[in-house]
Amino acid sequence: MKGINISKFSKPIILAVFMLVLTVLRPSSFLTVGNLSNVLWSVSVYGIMVCGTIFVFLIGGIDLSIGSLCGLCAVTVVKIIRYFEYSNTGVLLGVLAALSVGILAGLVHGAIITRFHVPAFLITFATQIIFLGLSMILTNNKILSCLQPELFTAIGMKKIFSFPVPIYIMLLIALISWFILRKTVLGRYVYAVGGNSPASRLSGISDTGITVLAYVFSGFTTAIGGVVLASMTQQCMATTGSGYETEVITAAVIGGVSLLGGEGTVSGALFGAILIGLLNNGLNLLSVPSTEHGLVKGIVIIVAVGFDALQHQEKFKSWLNQFKMKKVQGAA
Amino acid sequence: MNENVILEAKGICKSFSGVPVLQQVDFSVKRGEVHALMGENGAGKSTLIKILTGVYTKDSGSVFWEGKEAVINSYKDCQKLGMACIYQELSVIPPLTVAQNVFLGREPRRMGLIDHKKMNEMTQELIERYDFPLDPVALVSNLGIGLRQLVEILKGLSCDSRLLIMDEPTASLSGKEAESLFAIIDTLRKKGVSIIYISHRLEEVYKLSDRLTVLRDGKNAAVLNHDEIEPRKVIQTMIGKVVDESAGSSKEMRKNNNEVVLEVQNLSDETGFFHNVSFKAHKGEILGLGGLIGAGRTELVRAIYGIDQYREGTILLNGQKLHPSPKRSIRAGFGFVPEDRRGQGFIPLLSVNRNTALTNYDRIKKHGMAVSDKAELSMCRDAIERIDIRPADPDKQVGLMSGGNQQKVVLGKWLMRDLKVLIVDEPTAGIDVGAKDEIYGILEDLAKSGVVVILVSSDLQELIRVSHRILVMRKGSVIREFDSGVITQSMVLEAASGLVEKEVS
Amino acid sequence: MKQTTIRRLISLGMLGALVLLFSCMSSYYLNGDNLLEIVRDASVAGIIGVGVTYVIITSGIDLSTGSCMALVGMTMANIYRYTLLPIWMMLLIGILVGLAAGLFNGFVVAKLHLPEFIATLATMGIFRALTYAIAIRDAGGVITSQAMTYSSFVRWGGTVGKLHYVSIAFVIAVILGQLVLKKTRFGTNLYAVGANKKAAELSGINIAKTRIMAYMVVGLCSAIGAIFTTARLQSTTALLGNGFEFDPIAAAVVGGVSLSGGYGDIVGTFIGALFMSALDNGVLKLQMNTAYQYVIKGVIIILVVMFDAWYNGRMEKLAQEKGRKEAVSS
Repeated sequence: MKGINISKFSKPIILAVFMLVLTVLRPSSFLTVGNLSNVLWSVSVYGIMVCGTIFVFLIGGIDLSIGSLCGLCAVTVVKIIRYFEYSNTGVLLGVLAALSVGILAGLVHGAIITRFHVPAFLITFATQIIFLGLSMILTNNKILSCLQPELFTAIGMKKIFSFPVPIYIMLLIALISWFILRKTVLGRYVYAVGGNSPASRLSGISDTGITVLAYVFSGFTTAIGGVVLASMTQQCMATTGSGYETEVITAAVIGGVSLLGGEGTVSGALFGAILIGLLNNGLNLLSVPSTEHGLVKGIVIIVAVGFDALQHQEKFKSWLNQFKMKKVQGAA
Repeated sequence: MNENVILEAKGICKSFSGVPVLQQVDFSVKRGEVHALMGENGAGKSTLIKILTGVYTKDSGSVFWEGKEAVINSYKDCQKLGMACIYQELSVIPPLTVAQNVFLGREPRRMGLIDHKKMNEMTQELIERYDFPLDPVALVSNLGIGLRQLVEILKGLSCDSRLLIMDEPTASLSGKEAESLFAIIDTLRKKGVSIIYISHRLEEVYKLSDRLTVLRDGKNAAVLNHDEIEPRKVIQTMIGKVVDESAGSSKEMRKNNNEVVLEVQNLSDETGFFHNVSFKAHKGEILGLGGLIGAGRTELVRAIYGIDQYREGTILLNGQKLHPSPKRSIRAGFGFVPEDRRGQGFIPLLSVNRNTALTNYDRIKKHGMAVSDKAELSMCRDAIERIDIRPADPDKQVGLMSGGNQQKVVLGKWLMRDLKVLIVDEPTAGIDVGAKDEIYGILEDLAKSGVVVILVSSDLQELIRVSHRILVMRKGSVIREFDSGVITQSMVLEAASGLVEKEVS
Repeated sequence: MKQTTIRRLISLGMLGALVLLFSCMSSYYLNGDNLLEIVRDASVAGIIGVGVTYVIITSGIDLSTGSCMALVGMTMANIYRYTLLPIWMMLLIGILVGLAAGLFNGFVVAKLHLPEFIATLATMGIFRALTYAIAIRDAGGVITSQAMTYSSFVRWGGTVGKLHYVSIAFVIAVILGQLVLKKTRFGTNLYAVGANKKAAELSGINIAKTRIMAYMVVGLCSAIGAIFTTARLQSTTALLGNGFEFDPIAAAVVGGVSLSGGYGDIVGTFIGALFMSALDNGVLKLQMNTAYQYVIKGVIIILVVMFDAWYNGRMEKLAQEKGRKEAVSS
């Protein structure tokens, strides 16, 4: 009980301490409306994505393909807009196509993982490469810019009440995700499957269905992230979004989402994403080159997951057992 | 001290959190004898073995190995002395060969490299000495369970073990495999190897053992020589006469004049865990399923509930044919409390509230998929009140509760439904006495309200106390039905261990 | 025996079919020079694949090999640029860095009990970032590539006769790797740990030590891979080995090393590495967009993993049925 209470308060405290340190270190540049709005803006893509991938984490899975899937969706939307000569129809069709690509990818992941009982990380590791290859083929290794129409650029650039649109999209997705997880039967089932899938099956829950849905939702939000990213940068290339999987996993882990499944909230994940944004921003303000951010994030993942694993030794073991069971059932 | 005694334990005591499990237990094994260890579940057999193999430390008492007092603090110590334990869950490495398994961690080496030739020869020598049907270079992954067990025995023998401990070695063996194991045990005995043989199967013990120690409630009940081993007497010793009679006579058998709710006809499964099982269960009846571990009871009820497939047969609920899957079974009015509570029964990370609601969302969702938090909570409060879950906190994480209350949570998720059949598999394993009684009360109340309760239990006392009628399974078939008169534990045990081979008419 | 032989034949058949296919499609494919080139291009992934196979046999995974290569390369570049140490010292320090990286991976996995793929995903970022931190910069502070042109170093990127040094190293690594796997206690322990940790422990095997050592072998192999790669390029960059972590895993998976641990060997990985290289080479010879390599590789991995899952499941089911028939007949 105590542990839960501490971790409940720990997030705002970490956030406050973090902001305080940055304010003291860089008083003139950090605590300005412009900078903070920038942080949120840059966070929005991770934020959107983590709200969907959290479903995958909650059922105890992993999706390493989201970075390159995000890129593929960005390429899809830009290519179609360019094909339709920057018309609004092109934007609509492009967004629809990007979303379909994301959903289709999720379906494929879910189907293969549940049908063949193969490790999720390997399958999504392989699709990561496939999506990257597809993006390279589609872009022909060139940067495709897309500066119009306004309908498209508005997605990433327009400001409403002095906040950019992506933030509203992020909040909307977060709200949907929160509603599903917190208020619907589906959400209850997601936590149940992640917490103990054999017990869920005995309670009449289709763990296969829930798993597939989780990957589909992850693909869906990744596609939205891709569209927003393309619009924000007004261009795309094959490597758009590459490395985002680490950012998103780090965000989730910092936000208290257990990669072993069954534990975590949307608010936690969003908090994680914002902290990652602040971290990037802070490291930039402190003149740490962006190439070296990986060091900090890698250590953060190890500490956070290590802490989680140590705290849940027992859960960890049952998670491993579950894996073994899956293998056995896969064989039968 | 007797020269012939290889291992002697004297006055062993052990208690867990104040509850005594072993009290002044004496136990001795002679050279080259097969010594059986028997007792009901919870009599203290496995605790004794764990003390002898260094898994637990004893509270008091002493262990002598070949006349000298021995200190056993780990499995390694026990191996050093010359004991080896053949584990129930097989501990062989399938991708390696027989020889590699036998010498794992002790491979003979030449210039730093494993000398496979020598290792195979040494294994072949061992195989020939004990006459095992094994090939040193065969991959263990290609062997059946029976042969894998022989590999383990061989591994034990290879470190010059003079005492082997076998814990229910035939539980997962086919009849033929068991026969060849018995032959091997016989050879080992002739070669001077001692064996501690733990089994519930009387006929095996009768056939194999030179001596028999019976434990009851953590105390020595008897030590019998081979010619004194008389099945009925052993059963009486295991159960203890007093308990037996009172438990048997206190139960009034219910007449079967109620309507039939569940009917199972000629059910057989794919792998042969159960075959040709038929029975009827009546409204408001608690139907007990007795039998030894491995008799196929768990597999049968899992198939009835729809978790596992069955090959042929019919399941009728109120005369309607059922094609079970957990989802369909639940909709039809089934409930299921699995044997592996922690692994399959509840979700440890989630609260009581979420656990009890898990099977009930068809009734507590508002419109579409949305859940009514209020309805969820009030249902949970109902359940807490009705079966007295403690602490009475809907937000308590179930993983942190006591075993008895966890089981109540598992029951709780079914109680709120309009149940017709509730299947409970070993519902009180590892639960303290007080909570046991409460769980019996819940089952009895359910039966009174017209639910069919199917109770699988290895605890004979429980089976007899709670059930209205008992079916005894043996090797996958129902071999005996007790439906009237006074049932005693010994009657059930005799049937289960095959002393009374009588088919149900 | 039978099952593993069949799996070996399948990977050999895949390799043969691929070579045949490309030989029909391109006349530049099937000749001695090109085949040597295929072996050369398989070598670095294959050398690292030896270590990765060890780790996968223990039912682990290592995603950090590409970054580890970069770290080793950049360490050597620093020594090259800023010190007067002899070449052999430079190589030795490079190898020590690789071993240290492996030790770190092993520690995080075996002592902190982190899931392997998460742990090595994190160290992948860490090693890459460390590489950037020590990267060679020009006067303006911009990261540049560092040329390394000692002739005694660069010759390792070359050939002896027609044979590339790296190919020789590859073959030696495969032979040594297979020898260690099949002929030493360490090798046997790898299988034991991967197949049944509890049984391994009961047999007195130190599980943590075995796992850490397996990761250190990966580090060693990555360092060797980095040495040959930088020698051939005669330079290194911070981006060395980016995305390369996939190739050794792919080689192992195609070669029949089971990701659930306990099954597979170095010869399988050898065939797998040749397969992947033959594929890359064919795509190149057909003058297709290199992007197709990525797509085809990914698809093949998924197909192989799916096939293995299906095949192993089927084998187990057959074994079960056999057991039941024995039981019924008795």
